[in-house]
Amino acid sequence: MTRLIKYEFYKLFCKGSILAVLLLFSVLNLLKIQNEFRSYSYLADGNNSRSWSSVYWRLYEDFSGEITAEKIRELLDLYQPLATATADMTASTALDNPDTMTGNLYSDRNLLDKYYVQPMEYFYHYRACAYRAAERAKENAAIYGEQGLTYEMRKNVLIYHLYSDRSIQAFAYREMYNYYLNYDFSGILVLFLCLYGIVGTFVCEKETQMDMLLLTNLKGGKETTLAKIAAAALFAVGVALWFSVLDYAGFVFSFGTAKGGNLPLYAVSSFSTAGINCCLWQYAVLSAVTRALGVWALSMAFLLISMFWHNALIPFVTGLGTALCLMIAGASQSCSSNVWLKIGNPYSLLANRILFGRTEFIDFLGYPMPSFRAAVILALILGAASIGAMMGLSKKNYY
Amino acid sequence: MFEVKKIMLHQRGLLYIALVLLLSTLWLALSDSPYNSQMEQWKTEYEWYLNKVRGYCTEESSLYLEEEAKSLAEAREKQADLLERFYDGQISESTYKQEMQETEMLLEHERGFEVIYQQYLYICENTENRCFLRTNGWMGLLGGGTLHLVLFLGILLLTTPVFCSEYSCQMDALILTAREGQKSVRSKLLLTIGTVLFLCVSISLLEYAFYSIRYGLPNGDYPIQSIPCFGESHKDISLFHAYVCVGLLRLFGGVFLAVFLMFVSVLAKRYAITLLTGAASVLLPYIGLSETIIYRLPLPLPFLLGTGFFTGDMVSRDALTGDEKIIFAEVDMTTLLILLLVSALLCTLAIAGIFRCNRNKWQMKSRKGKHAFVLAATLILTLTLTGCFDGRESKGFVYNSSADYDGMGYEIMQDTETFDYYLKNTSTGKAFSIPRSPIFGAFSEEEKVLCYCMCPPYLYYTTSVTESYVNRVGNYNSDITKVSVVELNLETFEEKIVFEQVTNSGRSLFGIDYETGDQWQFLDLHYAFFLNSDSIFFIGNDGITQVSRRDKGIEKLNIPTNGTISFDGECIFYQNERSLLTRYDVAVGETYVYETIAASDFCMDEQFIYYVSRTDGGCVYACGKDGGGKELISDIPAMSVTCDAKNIYVLAKESGKQIVLSKYSAKLTCFY
Repeated sequence: MTRLIKYEFYKLFCKGSILAVLLLFSVLNLLKIQNEFRSYSYLADGNNSRSWSSVYWRLYEDFSGEITAEKIRELLDLYQPLATATADMTASTALDNPDTMTGNLYSDRNLLDKYYVQPMEYFYHYRACAYRAAERAKENAAIYGEQGLTYEMRKNVLIYHLYSDRSIQAFAYREMYNYYLNYDFSGILVLFLCLYGIVGTFVCEKETQMDMLLLTNLKGGKETTLAKIAAAALFAVGVALWFSVLDYAGFVFSFGTAKGGNLPLYAVSSFSTAGINCCLWQYAVLSAVTRALGVWALSMAFLLISMFWHNALIPFVTGLGTALCLMIAGASQSCSSNVWLKIGNPYSLLANRILFGRTEFIDFLGYPMPSFRAAVILALILGAASIGAMMGLSKKNYY
Repeated sequence: MFEVKKIMLHQRGLLYIALVLLLSTLWLALSDSPYNSQMEQWKTEYEWYLNKVRGYCTEESSLYLEEEAKSLAEAREKQADLLERFYDGQISESTYKQEMQETEMLLEHERGFEVIYQQYLYICENTENRCFLRTNGWMGLLGGGTLHLVLFLGILLLTTPVFCSEYSCQMDALILTAREGQKSVRSKLLLTIGTVLFLCVSISLLEYAFYSIRYGLPNGDYPIQSIPCFGESHKDISLFHAYVCVGLLRLFGGVFLAVFLMFVSVLAKRYAITLLTGAASVLLPYIGLSETIIYRLPLPLPFLLGTGFFTGDMVSRDALTGDEKIIFAEVDMTTLLILLLVSALLCTLAIAGIFRCNRNKWQMKSRKGKHAFVLAATLILTLTLTGCFDGRESKGFVYNSSADYDGMGYEIMQDTETFDYYLKNTSTGKAFSIPRSPIFGAFSEEEKVLCYCMCPPYLYYTTSVTESYVNRVGNYNSDITKVSVVELNLETFEEKIVFEQVTNSGRSLFGIDYETGDQWQFLDLHYAFFLNSDSIFFIGNDGITQVSRRDKGIEKLNIPTNGTISFDGECIFYQNERSLLTRYDVAVGETYVYETIAASDFCMDEQFIYYVSRTDGGCVYACGKDGGGKELISDIPAMSVTCDAKNIYVLAKESGKQIVLSKYSAKLTCFY
């Protein structure tokens, strides 16, 4: 069986065209990430001694690491005079002011405000905010317990446990992770590539009517179908993981640092109510696995659709249409409060901040289940059902 | 003839064409919303003014509008003054009616004036090339700027099998032996291009017909700068010509894509790679690149989009540094011509390539398809967030905009420092936070409760949440604001979202901006609301907007909101412009004016209306909902009146003290 899978994998996916597309898409992805950095980071302004980038990393030595009262005082000592001087907008606008770090008073203030004061403030206050949320959850749990609403009570108990110990102890660079966690483009490339690779799995033999001949072979029936499914699954998972690694590497390379990986996930503002407690590098791994699962489930569905056709035209266009529908629906409903819409859409697993970024639950037999867990289960069901249907529909060997 | 039969029937060309046209029409009808909803709602009033100033903004029209603004303001003032004098007994009823009629005549088209004045302000920015005209039709027709996905998928479906069907069976080698083979390639190309041309022209005509019927497309000869999306453009072209040019460009884009696909198919000889190349060449730049770059690439995509060639520069100011950043740079005519030339050259080369690779094609039988419906099912796009409705009745409550609520033993409090809302149990004094979610508002100041409405056993409140993750201006932004109506059951403390809507169009989907128009703007600005089982009514400064809970249909009600608003589940009670109590039945849409009740303030409960009369110096009366059974309940001149379940609260005009009257007091015994 392993030999059969290996053979199918080589036959279907180790083709020049697929490797060329993979290479092309990888390059496109890296260019897009580079563009993301150039367009949206204020630190992409070169390396001269007065650029924001140089000043930021010079100051980073002093302020990174454990947040202490002394560091906060130092930062405020640096920032407050600038804020006071620029408050009424009458300060000098000279661009070569020798008493400033970046050459301009306003620029100094903006840099400190955006990259040090705001994040430090957020990190420092996070603990109190989380404590408040946890206390409220505790109160709610007690009230719902009195009311006899067990589901609400359990949900609030879970929220209490999730938030009660949250705090951000250290200061670190978080901009790279902010853009990395909100980056979707590679998900689309993965879907395109998988669609292209997978529609040919069953079709290639039907196009040349080799499928009849295959059935005369000893292992040409169900075994071959299973081997094809396994090879396609391997391909889908492999592509998804490759692009996840590439994304991470691309962001680290473009932003020039991987610092901040040890910060908790909720240190990124758009993840302040994240549904899990882990650090950023752990989330990157988790995100890659979840995305691979989503791509696998969708690929199995694409594979099932392609079984019914004799050429790649309809399966490809149907798959493309479905993928576009799911992407548009998923993106437009990413902020919806209807959790079922999100967990039912496999695209949520690809852009998984939709699931992990919020503390959301669904009612499963009276027990609160986190939305990401429900989405994973649904994706597993979709994938397994597609495989089951394919096995059921595949022709038996005549021998 | 063979080729026609093969492509149209065997390869299901006709079916795909019909599907594309059908889905395009459906999409047009379903996704349509007016760019300026006020212009549609006050169409007659707006047109009344438009007819006076249509065309370029001349000194006369400018003067006319300024004068009109002044006279309308004066008329409003006069109306208020008349009302005051009449109820104070300074003028007789006949004088009042006569003068009131005169001012009402002046104010007849006031709502339309607000719309035209906004347009006037836009035109004033550049009077040289901006005209007064009804813009909604043209904005719908030209303002979209999004890729026509149905047309794109249709072209993929129609073009790919033209050559691929023969390569997949390796019939191409056999075709080389055919005598008439040379003609085959030519006819295939002509037929495919003809089909694509037909599709593009049909869709353009369809769109023209749709917008022409829906909003009207008047004054096509006015410059394109007259509509806001082309405001900054430097192109000297009329609206109709712009439509024709966009149509022609799309036509060229369609042909370009078809030729490109056929060229790839003769090179790759495989369905999958042809489809992937086609899809990737259009969708990847669309999603991944900025519009400035897209409109400078010799690809089918910019031509398929079209409108961007006529758009002017778009500049945005960075919130942090204050620097100006060009979001979109205008494409000048030379660039457009060069792009067209290069693209036409590429097309010619591709056609030459197709001829070179293919000679002597032969008719080939294709398999009959049975599953075309699968494709149709996949093309249904769901863009809007859906509202929920569970069909429960919520009767037996009365909403009063002026009253304080005390429902089911709970009082609603607001923290003066944090502005958080609390539910306070009046007997135990225990406070519960609203919303019930412990996380809401804990980490962000952009999550807040806007207003609430008591409807025992439910408390409804609206929340607004704003999110963003990119905080620098660029090719896309990430702001999104969502307004929700939440239902809290006061018996069980269970919470449920009954309505939810994204109100701003700031967030891009994969870098593509999608416009929701201004139709949901009222949600950001509402300060109170009430609801029944069918609709939610949002009260804003400019009136009440009724939103259907089933299909989210919006209707703006012509009800002034400067006085008290009450609602008993069926009718909205309010004071009209003449201070007369008025009832609007929301189910049938009928208005009834209580001619005998001139109220300076009122409130109501399930059975009675309590009002401060304007006609006799501010006495407080009670009457039935039909206006009958009028009974004096306080002869002390009053400023305002409110009520709760047990008492009526009257604010005395002179002393400024609040007088509490029990509903069961002697003066009301006749009712009880």
